[in-house]
Amino acid sequence: MTGFVSALVEAWQELRINKVRILLALVGVAVSVTALTSVVGVGDLAREGFKVQAERSQGRTATVALSVNGPTTPDPVRLEKAYQGIVERYGISYWTHTGQAQARFQFPGGVQDVQMTLVDPGYGVIHRTDVTQGSWFAADDEQRLAPAVVVSEAFYNTAGRPDLVRRPLAKLVGGGETTAVIIGVVPDLYPQAPPSAFMLNGAAQTAGIAEGHGQFKVWVQDGQAAVLMPAMQADLQMQFPDMYVDASRMDYAAHGDPIAVAQLVVGAVAGLVLLLGAMGMLNISMVTVRYRVREIGIRRSFGATSGRIFVGVMMESLVATAVAGIVGVMLAVAVVKNPWIQRQVAPALSEYPPFPLEAAMLGFGAAVAVGALAGAIPALVAVRIKVIDAIRF
Amino acid sequence: METLLSLRGVTRSVVLPDDQELHILRGIDLEISSGDHTAIVGRSGCGKSTLLNLLGLLDAPSSGELDFLGTPVQRIGGNARARLRGSTVGFVFQQFNLLQGRSALDNVMTPLFYAKGRDFWRRRELAMEMLDRVGLAARADAKPNMMSGGEQQRIAIARALVRRPRLILADEPTGALDVETGQTVMSLLDSIATESAAALVTITHDHNVAALARSRYRLDAGVLQAAEEVAA
Repeated sequence: MTGFVSALVEAWQELRINKVRILLALVGVAVSVTALTSVVGVGDLAREGFKVQAERSQGRTATVALSVNGPTTPDPVRLEKAYQGIVERYGISYWTHTGQAQARFQFPGGVQDVQMTLVDPGYGVIHRTDVTQGSWFAADDEQRLAPAVVVSEAFYNTAGRPDLVRRPLAKLVGGGETTAVIIGVVPDLYPQAPPSAFMLNGAAQTAGIAEGHGQFKVWVQDGQAAVLMPAMQADLQMQFPDMYVDASRMDYAAHGDPIAVAQLVVGAVAGLVLLLGAMGMLNISMVTVRYRVREIGIRRSFGATSGRIFVGVMMESLVATAVAGIVGVMLAVAVVKNPWIQRQVAPALSEYPPFPLEAAMLGFGAAVAVGALAGAIPALVAVRIKVIDAIRF
Repeated sequence: METLLSLRGVTRSVVLPDDQELHILRGIDLEISSGDHTAIVGRSGCGKSTLLNLLGLLDAPSSGELDFLGTPVQRIGGNARARLRGSTVGFVFQQFNLLQGRSALDNVMTPLFYAKGRDFWRRRELAMEMLDRVGLAARADAKPNMMSGGEQQRIAIARALVRRPRLILADEPTGALDVETGQTVMSLLDSIATESAAALVTITHDHNVAALARSRYRLDAGVLQAAEEVAA
């Protein structure tokens, strides 16, 4: 115990005495750790932002789209029954039909075309649709006499940002004129997006909004997708033997992680930066040991064992780089949690994830590893110095 | 009195780059006991420092027997030898060999980093006591480059004695000092060694320094011979 404490105290004393020299070496290590940790942290944030944006437009991992096509259009009633059978047999919790349509709304500034997405209530979960105001559709919203709509921020702004508590109305013009009730607002998918709105399929039919090309989507566990997809496809094929049945994943991760390669490349560059920092540290440590030959000899004449000299030189490097690692990680946290950087890296996120612990651990671990490397080689040199030669050096 | 060191027929030789053997020490017989004050005189290059390195367990003999506290040094492993050296031997070097950039206090504390238990935890207190003993407590924060040669050697003495060694080895302790300062340093070294009943072995080429010792030897061409015996 005393030996360990005294080695630590001795290492700290050496750092204190050689602070300028060590500080210069450590700046390189701290910058390298900041670079490495920031890349991992920003990469994590970018991944989370990309994931949220991708899941909003394509569905969560794993979203499977089922379709039945053929020489003739399948009977809609029979097809719906088949889809519901799939939902029941495979224990699907969230499903939705999705379709696109155009509708004309009366706004305070005049009539404007609006892109409508016709959905079922499960769409909200599958597409991570977070409302910023009001609420998403409930199952019984289809029963409303005035159809409910969830509108985009752009729609809401064009409508004059009415108070949702007062159940504001939006008037559909053209065809059968209908008055819809705005029940919720969702963020725009991208900046400057045109007004858009969601409406439940049943309500859209009642309102006479023609549905475009529709899809039936189900959300299954990521690990089960590979098993369930062929099973559901075979199930549907049995019910529609003369038609072409397809079950395919729609989510961003369908063909592997699309940003993993980019993150790997940037991580490799950060690793090289760290290696450069380590080489600088090693270089300075080697020069320092040469410079300290006589001191090592003197210490050995006063009873320092070769093991103690090894630990002492190693510990100096480890203590120093551990401190540099903590500073580097703190700088990286400041970079990654900077609001401006967060907005630029992940504009789709409304709530940002905490700083990833693994990035902090990686940065700190890398710093300690650099310290071990930059300490071990000079420490081996130090223990090989002969005491007599060292004192006369 | 307890025998600290016993050398019987000790030799030390090295092999030169041209494969010739150079005999530095030949057939050394010497016994050092607690409280002895011994001077070894010789010209430069006669093997004085090599002998001091053997006495301080910094080197091992090529042949012969060297017992340290009754144990042959060949039987003591490297780390055990280092620990034994730390706890039993104190070195005073000709060039002081203070650690540059450290204060006088830090220098005196250095050997206590390799001590166990109370001595390590009380290192500051013990070092201050020792600085006080050599009359330099007021200069505890001064660094070697701000001190005179005499002050540096007194710091080196404080450092050598802070672990209360039983054997003090002084290698030309006055070699870098003027005559007057040298005498002051030697009487300090002599009085502290006497107080603690430690053995003091001084290696010197200065007959005035050697005259302070109670027993004197002459080293010539690697051969050690007893000079006159003086009364303690």
